[in-house]
Amino acid sequence: MARAPSDGSKPYYQIVREVLSANVANGNLPIGTRLLTTAVADRLGVSRPPVKRALELLAADGVVTALSSQGYVVGAASGETSPERTNLHRLQLDLPPELGDNLGQARWERIFEAVEAEILNSIPFGTFQISESLIGEHFDVSRTVVRDVLSRLDARGLIVKDRTSHWIAGPLSARMLDDAHEIRRLIEPGALASAMPLLAEGFLSDGRSTVASALSRSAALSVEEVDAIELELHVDTLDALRNRRLAGAVRLQQVSLVINRLFATYIGLHDEIEMLREHALVYDHMLLGDADGTSAAMRHHLDADHARSRARLKVLSVFDAAEIAPYLIRIH
Amino acid sequence: MSSPPKLRVIGRSEVLPRPVLEQAAADLPFDIEFELIDSVKGLQRVVSSPETFDVYHQWHTVDLIWTARAVQAIDLSRIDHANLIRGQALGRQGDGRAMGSVFNQLFLQPSGALGSAPTDRIVMLPLLHGVDAFAYLPSVIREFDDGTPNSWGWLLDPRLAGRVSIMSDPVLGMIEAALAVEAAEGIRIADVGNLSVEEIDIIVDILLRRKKLGHFKTIWGNYRECARSMQRGVVLQSMFSPALAMLRSQGIPVISAVPREGYRGWHVDLCISSAAKGGQLDAAYAYLNWWMNGKGGAVTTRQGYYFAQPELVRPHLSAAEWDYWYAGKPAATALSDPLGQPAIAPGEIREGGSYFERMSRVRVWNAFMDEHTYLVRRWREFLEA
Repeated sequence: MARAPSDGSKPYYQIVREVLSANVANGNLPIGTRLLTTAVADRLGVSRPPVKRALELLAADGVVTALSSQGYVVGAASGETSPERTNLHRLQLDLPPELGDNLGQARWERIFEAVEAEILNSIPFGTFQISESLIGEHFDVSRTVVRDVLSRLDARGLIVKDRTSHWIAGPLSARMLDDAHEIRRLIEPGALASAMPLLAEGFLSDGRSTVASALSRSAALSVEEVDAIELELHVDTLDALRNRRLAGAVRLQQVSLVINRLFATYIGLHDEIEMLREHALVYDHMLLGDADGTSAAMRHHLDADHARSRARLKVLSVFDAAEIAPYLIRIH
Repeated sequence: MSSPPKLRVIGRSEVLPRPVLEQAAADLPFDIEFELIDSVKGLQRVVSSPETFDVYHQWHTVDLIWTARAVQAIDLSRIDHANLIRGQALGRQGDGRAMGSVFNQLFLQPSGALGSAPTDRIVMLPLLHGVDAFAYLPSVIREFDDGTPNSWGWLLDPRLAGRVSIMSDPVLGMIEAALAVEAAEGIRIADVGNLSVEEIDIIVDILLRRKKLGHFKTIWGNYRECARSMQRGVVLQSMFSPALAMLRSQGIPVISAVPREGYRGWHVDLCISSAAKGGQLDAAYAYLNWWMNGKGGAVTTRQGYYFAQPELVRPHLSAAEWDYWYAGKPAATALSDPLGQPAIAPGEIREGGSYFERMSRVRVWNAFMDEHTYLVRRWREFLEA
């Protein structure tokens, strides 16, 4: 089955390896530059183990060469010139968003999002044990980081410890959906109303016209199109909020987005006209600057969506075969 | 024109005994491919691949397969005797006890939802229904005081430890386990047909403990396994009526319980795949109308199933058969099972009485519960323990 890609599923050493290799190839990291594990880790904002592994692999590829003293040098080592001791922070490097955008973000946070997404994708299909050591291997991070991630997932209510001290996730119950919905309908309509005056010009009219064109089309929408429409209203709007804690609190309760996406993946997309009409109503209120109407329309949409996702969870419950992350071990 | 269609039908083995398959094949002018699937695999196929079947004999899953749009609405104007279905839907309004589960989600409403208000389109053609309970051998009676009424609690009674069996189906098994826990442990369950997370935990924890103590000798999956387990030392167990007919035709004096807590009701209906079109769709309607002639329902009557419109099967039954199966009277002659083997001796009376008496004692209908995901995972924990 096709699955929505989850950020961070690529191991860090792989990302680091590609980043270094690309920057050597385009000359950002000149031949002869000395690469010490600690300095590279500091420059990229990652921990040392993935850098160490990446440099070993790059040495095997011949991109860098191990020095007898310490560290590596870009290119083949030459006996005559000693490698340049360059301050890597002075070098302009091309960094992918996985590294570049997240410099300020704690490591656990990046992994948290990936693990959370994998767990949510799996628990409608069963009960899973989470392996601490396999998460560490998968993301190439230390036990400390893994424990940090797991304790936050615990606080989030997604995983529990069983009697033998194993971390367990799932199964996803209708009760969990009910609980999330109860909180979500209290906070998301208000959050949206607060974000409304802060949204960039054109954002609302763009969103509204996307919905309008989806409604006027006779052909079925693709999973990606529906996903984009949902994210625009439920996630992107809240980016405008100054209150990041409010935005974060809303996001934690959006379990039904996952259910709807899994249903589309397993069963296929059906008539989404109701959802589109509800979205259109919310946009229309926002376009008029009507905060109360926006909240009311959003509440109506969330209630209708809850009924749909509850019914869809029931359909998903007859399946077993989720494609699951390597660090999740099915137990029931 | 393309070659004549081959109709592809999916159903459970209980609902489609051999004489039904043969009769339908003989009467209809096209080939029929029956796939008998007793596990959840049938349902998985139906909701994920509607293009691989034309007709599905659904079983307490209509809301789910409609959510998945795996089936299409049935046009009542193309169904023989449709007036009987409309009549029943209106008539039952004064009698909520029987058949509620059949009609509550039968008609496609203008909103696109399913409901009980009659319209011209239905999502399933009501076909068969009945009540189930556990069954036991005469030796079980000796374990209880004279006159002790049958109770679902017997499924968990320590006096029968090691000689009890329960079925593996999560929906039906959990309902029966809930009835047993309620009766045996004095726990009150708000709605046996829609258990909460906490109730599921209580029930499964009790089942797990009993299983580890060796209480259950076997767990069975279909009516053949059900009959076999009673031939091999089980004295009390969940029961499907085809297995009852099978055991009796083999001379095993199994007794079908009339539990004081009431029966577990069930119904099986016909659905048409959302992918069926043109010739396939015509064949599907022809198959549905073949059932409406009552011949198939007469066969399944002989294994204890009631037909949705009893008057349609009556012409295909002998007077003695009608009187025994529907009227609750003593068998006037020896009666046979669907395969023609003698199963009922003259003078026998059906446990629980007449059609009306039995259907009036439904305590809970088979249902996919709101917490089905949770239920099925915990049930699997019980099966695998």
